[in-house]
Amino acid sequence: MPRTRTSALLLTLPLGVTALLAGCAVEETPTTTSSSSSSAGGSIKGTGEVVVACTPQEEQCQAMAAAFTKASGIKTSFVRMSSGEGVARLDAAKSKPEFDVLYGGPSDGHVAAFNSGLIEPYVSANAAAIPDKYKDKDGKWTGTYVGVLGFCSNKDQLTKAGVSAAPSSWAELLDPKLKKQVAIAHPSTSGTSYTAVWTQMVLNGMDEAKTFDYLGKLHQNVLQYSKSGSAPGQMAGRGEVAVGVIFSHDCVKYQKEGFDMLESTFPSEGSGYEIGAVSVVKGGPNAENAKKFIDWTLTPDHQDIGPTVGSFQIPTHPEAKITEDMVKLDEVKLVEYDSLAAGEKKKELTAKFDAEVAPAPKE
Amino acid sequence: MTATLLPAAADPVGTSSPSSRPRRGSGRDISLLVMVVVVALLLSVIVGLPLVRILTVAFSAEGWSIVSSMLSNPVNRGILWNTVQLGVIVSLLGTAVGFVMAYAQVRLKFRGKRILHLISLMPIVSPPFAVATAAITLFGRNGMISNGVFGQQIDIYGLKGLTFVLTLSFFPVAYMNLKGMLESLDPSLDEAAANLGANKLKIFTSVTLPMLIPGIAGSVLLLFVESIADLANPLVLGGDYTVLASRAYLAVVGEYNVAGGAAYSLVLLLPALSVFLIQRYWVSRKNVVSVTGKPAGSPELITAPALRIPMLVMAVAVASLVILMYATVVFGGFVKIFGVNNDFTLDHYRFVLAGIGSDAMFTTTLLALIATPIAGLLGMLIAWLVVRKLKRTSGLMDFVGMLGLAVPGTVIGIGYAIAFNTPTVFAGRQWFPAVAGGSAILGGAMAIVMVFVARSLPTGQRAGISALQQINPAIDEAATSLGASSLTTFRTVTLPLIRPALLAGLTYAFARSMTTLSPIVFITTPQTKIMTSQILAEVDSGRFGNAFAYCAILIVIVLSFIGLLNLAMLHPSIRGIQRR
Repeated sequence: MPRTRTSALLLTLPLGVTALLAGCAVEETPTTTSSSSSSAGGSIKGTGEVVVACTPQEEQCQAMAAAFTKASGIKTSFVRMSSGEGVARLDAAKSKPEFDVLYGGPSDGHVAAFNSGLIEPYVSANAAAIPDKYKDKDGKWTGTYVGVLGFCSNKDQLTKAGVSAAPSSWAELLDPKLKKQVAIAHPSTSGTSYTAVWTQMVLNGMDEAKTFDYLGKLHQNVLQYSKSGSAPGQMAGRGEVAVGVIFSHDCVKYQKEGFDMLESTFPSEGSGYEIGAVSVVKGGPNAENAKKFIDWTLTPDHQDIGPTVGSFQIPTHPEAKITEDMVKLDEVKLVEYDSLAAGEKKKELTAKFDAEVAPAPKE
Repeated sequence: MTATLLPAAADPVGTSSPSSRPRRGSGRDISLLVMVVVVALLLSVIVGLPLVRILTVAFSAEGWSIVSSMLSNPVNRGILWNTVQLGVIVSLLGTAVGFVMAYAQVRLKFRGKRILHLISLMPIVSPPFAVATAAITLFGRNGMISNGVFGQQIDIYGLKGLTFVLTLSFFPVAYMNLKGMLESLDPSLDEAAANLGANKLKIFTSVTLPMLIPGIAGSVLLLFVESIADLANPLVLGGDYTVLASRAYLAVVGEYNVAGGAAYSLVLLLPALSVFLIQRYWVSRKNVVSVTGKPAGSPELITAPALRIPMLVMAVAVASLVILMYATVVFGGFVKIFGVNNDFTLDHYRFVLAGIGSDAMFTTTLLALIATPIAGLLGMLIAWLVVRKLKRTSGLMDFVGMLGLAVPGTVIGIGYAIAFNTPTVFAGRQWFPAVAGGSAILGGAMAIVMVFVARSLPTGQRAGISALQQINPAIDEAATSLGASSLTTFRTVTLPLIRPALLAGLTYAFARSMTTLSPIVFITTPQTKIMTSQILAEVDSGRFGNAFAYCAILIVIVLSFIGLLNLAMLHPSIRGIQRR
């Protein structure tokens, strides 16, 4: 059967290529790592590969990987994961890391990963251009974008549920009319959802009991906790729920993709925000390329990619383009978000959520 | 594809035995010993080791505290109860649906049997998410049918939706089981009852049904194992209905709580394994059908409206639902957002074929193609050793081989992650390097092939065993007494004789490898992307269009493989001596 043989040959091709690449990865010469590892003005050109744990939406990861491969000549592969999942995955392979870079996701996730000994601090020379509030001075993480938490509501579905206007406060989310009409991700897997949990901590004056009281009440209205943070926006778009608690840039993305009944609102009590960060994985297989990758993410070259693939996070580099679709930070009331404190409490709070809130029965 | 599952009635006399050089001495015993040792080693690595490791972790202090809280902690008790409840409901409903389809197929008179048969098998070759995503699109809160046609807001999330989706996904297992049984029922019993004055309905309730009890019980138990082990659907449709499989998944993926994952796995393993054992060793012995032997003639097809009309209505309803689901998958891949924005687009296929998807598609197909012959041949080899060669240990080998099917995929996956993410060290020596995870050799591809083999080997093994039991052992003995070694006998005598079983084994191995998810999610790596886990990512992020495109492409790959395999088997050079 000539046909089967040809296709079999075709299929063996990628194996060969993979084997070759694997060979390259092993043979790669270890480059000397100086302790003050800032490659001032260094070229991002390089050889070999870099493996990225990528937490934004798949389209953004693809565009980012393609652009870096093109700009640097370094073959970039990635796995799209929710940020909590990504950190768990780094933890799983701690003894022999499979990733070089943790890309995206709220900075508190990077702090939590650093505290578990999974992150190597790296201060990029390019970080100098990034405002101080968007980076860690020790280089545990550096911000490349900012996203604000919001409510993504389906107007048609709200009307059906008998709610006249999109919720504009955390309190309104508890409206009994919204029973099983709210979707949010699980804070164990999703950084988005943990941002919401920490926002409640801030709003409740760091009182855990009050925070979990709110989350328990919200649980009565939640249909399903998804794995990834942006999924609730899709559920709202399809009319499976009336409100999704997600980052507002994801809501804008879905509006542009055809869900024109979606409406984005922000809680009046104050909303949480994420500083989408990058960091170097400790002991990753391609340490030098990881740093080149980080250097590149802090340039407008990288930060201007987002809007071209429908990702409207606010870039952290002052010279990167701001578009009409992005949230105006001065028009939204934001809470004081201490990502260091948030990161330190992350494991404890998500475990508590997982044990007490998520499996609780609904009335 | 299923016509080949039941082996052709072999005619031992008519088959020529291949010439083999007479050889004397102890050569045959050595080759037998080598085969037994190799098979035993392979089985202990691909199934035994991961299970032993997961048990070790589950019985560690941290794991045991969760295991022991299963009944005392109300939350965990709830999860356990949910799992059992779902298993019971789906196994009963799925068997009922499978029975209706099988009965209509075998006993009723109507046109379009072939089509009904193919529709009943469709869910077997499709990836786990196809039905669930289609169900949300059609019958969800804002579903095109539930809301669009009937104006109802059905709450599909939770037990209701899971029951619906799992029943549609798993009824083919019962269908195949019961169809085989119905076909082998001796029609003379029906005729005897008819001669004594019983009408068709009376025959059905007093003759046919009692004869099928073992088959029905077997199907119920198999479906119970399948449905409590399912991970994909509870993740997508669970709502707040948490089951053990999804709980174990979240513990590992969300928190890297391996001890917790292992503990939930152990609790899942107990009912799955015990039910499987009951099915395997108790129900199959109560089989009254097999003693009646081959049917003496073809049964008279039923035309009586009292039985025909309600049965046909039900069968057509189920078939339409299946068609509706897959039409949604196909159509949904070509529109922007099915049900919301129905403009034509090729974006989803572009996303899958030109982006990450093409990578996953090639890797998955390649690994499945590697695993398929290994699983098929290993299954036949085990079958042959169990039926012909081993005596006291045959039961043990049969059991270990079947474990890949009996043990829930989630458990196997977590077991692999624990056992193979680090090099295997035993007694102070490294036996082999890490084979799972991104830093492992070949980018973790080896572990995935191993999982594929472990998961798909049992079906071939079963088919092989039942085929061999129908073949006269005198042929083997003839070859052996002419001096052929055990290996030669297996290769030149046994294998050609059980070719239909091998074909069935290969078909299943490929379909199962391509569509398995629950063990794979724990061991995919950056270098080795697998289609089902990519589909999970798309479904979870709510990009159903991309998921539909993935599912459609996966189904096409599986169907073309089955087609090519069947064509190849028809080819004279391969067809060899025996044909039906």
